[in-house]
Amino acid sequence: MREIRFLLTFLPSGRIKQIMSGGKKNRKPAVVTPTEAILESISDGVFTVDMDWRITSFNRAAEEITGVPREEAIGRRCSEVFRSSMCGADCALQQTLQTGKPIIGKSGYIIKADGDRIPISVSTAVLKNGDGQVVGGAETFRDLSDVEALRRELDSRFRVGDLVSRSPLMQRVFEVLPAIATSPSTVLILGETGTGKELMARTIHCLSPRGKGPFIAVNCGALPDTLLESELFGYKAGAFTGAVKDKPGRFALASGGTIFLDEIGDVSPALQVRLLRVLQERTFEPLGSTRSETTNARVLVATNRDLAELTRSGAFREDLYYRVNVVRVQLPPLRRRKEDIPLLVEHFVNRFNRLQRKSIQGIAAEALSLLMAHHWPGNVRELANVIERSFIMCSEGLIGIGHLPEELTAHGLSAAMGADVSSAHDLLDAQSIRTALERNGYNRLAAARELGIHKTTLFRRIKKLGISLPEKDGRSGKARIQ
Amino acid sequence: MRKAAFAYWDNRIAPVFDSANQIYLVAIDSNRITAETLEVLPDDQLVQKALRLAELAVDTLVCGAISRSLHEIVCSYGIQVVPFVAGELHKVIQAWRSNNLSADVFAMPGCRRQCLSLRKCTAGRRRNIA
Repeated sequence: MREIRFLLTFLPSGRIKQIMSGGKKNRKPAVVTPTEAILESISDGVFTVDMDWRITSFNRAAEEITGVPREEAIGRRCSEVFRSSMCGADCALQQTLQTGKPIIGKSGYIIKADGDRIPISVSTAVLKNGDGQVVGGAETFRDLSDVEALRRELDSRFRVGDLVSRSPLMQRVFEVLPAIATSPSTVLILGETGTGKELMARTIHCLSPRGKGPFIAVNCGALPDTLLESELFGYKAGAFTGAVKDKPGRFALASGGTIFLDEIGDVSPALQVRLLRVLQERTFEPLGSTRSETTNARVLVATNRDLAELTRSGAFREDLYYRVNVVRVQLPPLRRRKEDIPLLVEHFVNRFNRLQRKSIQGIAAEALSLLMAHHWPGNVRELANVIERSFIMCSEGLIGIGHLPEELTAHGLSAAMGADVSSAHDLLDAQSIRTALERNGYNRLAAARELGIHKTTLFRRIKKLGISLPEKDGRSGKARIQ
Repeated sequence: MRKAAFAYWDNRIAPVFDSANQIYLVAIDSNRITAETLEVLPDDQLVQKALRLAELAVDTLVCGAISRSLHEIVCSYGIQVVPFVAGELHKVIQAWRSNNLSADVFAMPGCRRQCLSLRKCTAGRRRNIA
């Protein structure tokens, strides 16, 4: 800043001698305007292009951030110099030139010559000549590496791999995860459907010394027994009609890596015996083979069923249960870690913004309140689906109540109400009253007591919110008198 | 027979392979082109992109800028990578056929010297993805 003041003071006419012009080879002093001097001094990269997308100017910071010398950049196509994730179909500058509207702070990354990805944000503007004709465009970009590093450091407390949580229940899992990952033991991952069992398995694999090896996932519940057997162990040519050549099984493919057997509780007793042998002796025989093969794959298994109960009932072999139940990871359902919902929503919004190339800013407070009130039987997967569906309805700005699926806005109440905070309050009220009534067998007095309100207040709220009640009430078991 | 994939966008080499979603496949036998097709790449995960190249039995990938991590993944499938290439698609294909891709005219700006470390990646053992 001092340098600019100095230059402007000594050359009040507005013409100054440029510090750098024409690149490193021919740095002859040249006359430039104060605007150019300012552009040279700022820390944001700036370049301009003509209507053929050729670079016409490239400031000092642009050289530093991209690593491309100015003399190589000038006259080249901007996409080949800038090399950002937006270059191509998602070009911000092209959108600006088409619409005439500037774009501010669009995020992406550039790739430098050494392969480093540099996170950036870009802003664009149209360049016009004195007659108002469009002659090109200008793009400024900011290196966000420091911001990104800081954000990662803050996030790392609540993030392991792709797993995101600030819940104490998950924090306990996160604490033991590195130790579990480095051990070669079989891991049993338990949790309801949609809690992220496969994601947990992938994370364990990535953190393990086998992280660079293959990760092979098999859903044991999705395949019939005979097909599952050939999938897991492979087959030899001629083992059955149509087996014209050898096919390696998933255990062979997972060599040096990890095999993840999902829905292990659904495996038939016959296949349980073969699995037990693999886990005990690390050997198996492909279908039609007379020779045993060995495997060094680490085994991770998961189920949403109660394996201990299945063992007691005889549906799951006791010896296999003890063999897989070496290290256990229990994933809590989302309803028990609702404090994670804002973090997960942010995570999914960022993810879908990236995948769908949108710029949704987040979620409105009243919509978030509705998400917090939901029971989430489908867990994190259901939440991801809700956000994905909201992305279809929401084109920009914040996700509001109107963008959420109808089942979440409870029995179509949202259609009758506006998408504001008082509506969200009414929706939450209706959900709480319904839940209390259901829990108390539709006994109004008991429900009112549970909600901490007088029964007449409850009746008034039921009437106002238009909550329909069953014919029988919970008190007498007789038909309700209207 | 050799098979090469050229990262494709707007009749040119796509500037960034990490975000590219199309490749132009060229099969060559005795320096004669035997097949040319345009294929779509998944653009969600880097691994999926590399896996698709392996499924298509690509020997060489010619692309624009590529991140180090994606470069390593593609190389791990035994695919030779010729990165930081710029230019019109058919001129690049011609240069590849005549082993002339290292000419400065096809180098991205700022990549004549610095990108050499990346340019050294060569075909290794092809990983079985069956």
